[in-house]
Amino acid sequence: MKRAAPRSTLRRIIKTHKPQLRLATNADLLVHLNFLLFLHRLAEEARTNAFENKSKIIKSEHTIAAAKVILKKSRG
Amino acid sequence: MAGRPPGEGGGVPLGGPGGGESGRGGVPPNYRSHKANGGLSPPANAARRGRTGTTRTTMHRGGGAAPELPAPHCAAPPPPPTAATTPRAPPSACSAPRSRGAPRGGLARGGWAGRRRGRYSVMADSWPRVRRGARRSGRYPTRAAVKTVSDSGTNSGRSTLVKQRPTVFPDLDNDTPRIMLKRIIQTQPQVSPLAPQISKHEETEEAPPELPSKRVSSMVEMQLPDLVPEETSIATFHMTKKRKKLSISEFERAADKRLPQNQAQSMLDSTALARSLRLSLGSLIPPDTVEKRGLLRRPKNRKAIDMEAFEGGVEQNMLKRKAQNYLVDSETASGIPTAMLASDAEIMLSNTELFVQPQFDEQSHNKLSALEPQLSDSKTSAQTSKISDAAQEEARLVGLVSSVGTNEGGTRRYSADLILDHEHVDRMTHVSPKTPANQQEDKQDHSQQSNPMEQLSVLEEVVAGTAEHRASAGYSEHLEKKLTKKAELQITTVEDARVETEMAPSEEEGIAEGSVEHQGSPKAEREIAKGVGAGSLGRHSHAFSSSEKSGMGPLKEAVEQADELEDQVITVELDGPEEEPTVNETEDPESDEVSMKTPTFVRAAAYKPLLSTPRPVKPASPKSPLQPLRAKPIPKSSGATRRKTSKPEVASSLIKKIFSHYVKMPVARDAYKIVEKCCERYFKQLSSDLEAYTNHAGRKTVEMADLEVLMRRQGLVTDKMPLHVLIERYLPLEYRKLLIPVAVSGNKVFPCK
Repeated sequence: MKRAAPRSTLRRIIKTHKPQLRLATNADLLVHLNFLLFLHRLAEEARTNAFENKSKIIKSEHTIAAAKVILKKSRG
Repeated sequence: MAGRPPGEGGGVPLGGPGGGESGRGGVPPNYRSHKANGGLSPPANAARRGRTGTTRTTMHRGGGAAPELPAPHCAAPPPPPTAATTPRAPPSACSAPRSRGAPRGGLARGGWAGRRRGRYSVMADSWPRVRRGARRSGRYPTRAAVKTVSDSGTNSGRSTLVKQRPTVFPDLDNDTPRIMLKRIIQTQPQVSPLAPQISKHEETEEAPPELPSKRVSSMVEMQLPDLVPEETSIATFHMTKKRKKLSISEFERAADKRLPQNQAQSMLDSTALARSLRLSLGSLIPPDTVEKRGLLRRPKNRKAIDMEAFEGGVEQNMLKRKAQNYLVDSETASGIPTAMLASDAEIMLSNTELFVQPQFDEQSHNKLSALEPQLSDSKTSAQTSKISDAAQEEARLVGLVSSVGTNEGGTRRYSADLILDHEHVDRMTHVSPKTPANQQEDKQDHSQQSNPMEQLSVLEEVVAGTAEHRASAGYSEHLEKKLTKKAELQITTVEDARVETEMAPSEEEGIAEGSVEHQGSPKAEREIAKGVGAGSLGRHSHAFSSSEKSGMGPLKEAVEQADELEDQVITVELDGPEEEPTVNETEDPESDEVSMKTPTFVRAAAYKPLLSTPRPVKPASPKSPLQPLRAKPIPKSSGATRRKTSKPEVASSLIKKIFSHYVKMPVARDAYKIVEKCCERYFKQLSSDLEAYTNHAGRKTVEMADLEVLMRRQGLVTDKMPLHVLIERYLPLEYRKLLIPVAVSGNKVFPCK
């Protein structure tokens, strides 16, 4: 069960980072989509790391290693 | 038996033409007889039974013959000589009734349907009498008819039998092969696809005597004697039953073969799966133990804190009273008469000397360097933090010592140590409160400067420790007050203040979520500008109290105490930023936890700038007298959460939900923090990228195209995976409708492009 996309929160976040930047209508939905895909990739990478470690739980070190890789990938 | 010969005779002539008719026909004479006897029906069989069990055999034979007919190659042992002889005689006679080819064909057909016949024979046992006559006259036809009509019904079979009688016997001489074939085709029994060919084989195997007759069916032999049919009939009867049994048994056998195979396979699979699972599960520390450890830890900590804090508090109280006397005098670090303090300290601290006093600056340096990497790297294990805490405390001691010895170098180290200590203390407070107390006791020889520092450290540690354990919040508040009082009193050296300022901002940053860097830097700047002082200490205490979330009460009390005790004046500005984070902290329970647990890298990031700043600050600030107390300790915003103003974030619960849904595995709590941090950084990257793309397009508003470009560059949207597909997959329907233009009636497109 997914919740609704936090549209206002996303707008506010981007506004905080880049006050001069504007967002078109429904553009934040695509931002939300991008966010979901990013989390998806992060989750996959963390899962792979955990499997490699033969661990049944996602631990912080798995996540950190995954984050490094995926953040680099998501730079565009 | 009397009836038999006529039957057989009838069978013989039939057999002759049958045999001559075709391979099939050749066989049939015997088979016909057999079949007539057996396949015809139970009546025939019953009649036979009366005499012997020949009917069965015949039936069986008939049944066996039928399937064997088409397979002339089946090698069957020649029928018994007697049977063979008899059939041979009649073949000539059989040639006459060629007109009966049809019935013969039917018989043949019946023969093929021998299997069925066999089955029906049992059922038809009730007909024997009815069939007798028919048998006599036209066994073959009847049999054939029955066989052929076995599916439809026995009654119809009878009628057909009658009809087929005249044409049962194939006329070898007159019938052309074409006609014979026609008959064959017409009379061909409907072989049910379901009928297991096993029975066929069985019949072939079990009807050796029939085989030769079948071979005869190759249009050569028509000399199937009646005896043979009889025997075969008997045999067929048996055979059919056997066939039945065999067929059934065969089927069962086949099924069983398959089943065990499947079972074996499943077993193998299960074992393989089990093995793989075992491997995957493999060696893992069950989380329970970790949790248990964690659970176990807390009470220990609480007790330790309580005891140690209390002891520390008591000592500080005593020191404070003594320090009050020296407050006025002790402007400089070494001004305070150490003798008095030492004596008091000795009295108080001499009891517990758990730690040997480390006294090497080098050690402190090393520890510092070791601690910093530890800080940046370790986020999880309590053990490491514990170790680091212990190490830090030692470092702190060393730092204190060094600070006494060399102002600048020592203070730097000390500040760094304190900062580091605070970080670790915030996160793990198992032994921290204890160690400072012990350290305090061990530092009898140190000057008063060190004492206040110790007290501060104790205070900090205690506060931090209590901060982590909310349960002891109340007690910690009390301690806090005491500590704050003493700490403020004790502040004499600039270094202390500096350290505290460094610590305070670091503390606050560590505590405050999300806004660490922002707040830390302004605070650091301010502190540097002011030259720091006890105010930082007060702030520190404020921060601690707020971090404990004991509410505004203790904070205010601490503040008031700080004001009263401290001579230094802390600027409102200092308080301002401090208040904000403290307010945020108090108002947000989660933030504390988060701040305490997570953000090592946030703190690491914070430390570096902090560590750098003190150095320039240090030379600037000479040993100044006690810094002024804060003017306005009370935070402005109370109650209303200002979290969002500081920095908006995506709800952590949403992140947790989405992440755990995608990862499909249990996730450690610490990992969630990391994911949140990761998300923050991601949003930062995202906004800068979008800005770059929009500016490149000469626009000021981010459009869908910009986002598509971003996703393309990230590799999420490819030629194979268009954006709309992703939208459909990941977003709920409501959003899909908004994003993807859909044509609706009335020549409209929604959303309009």
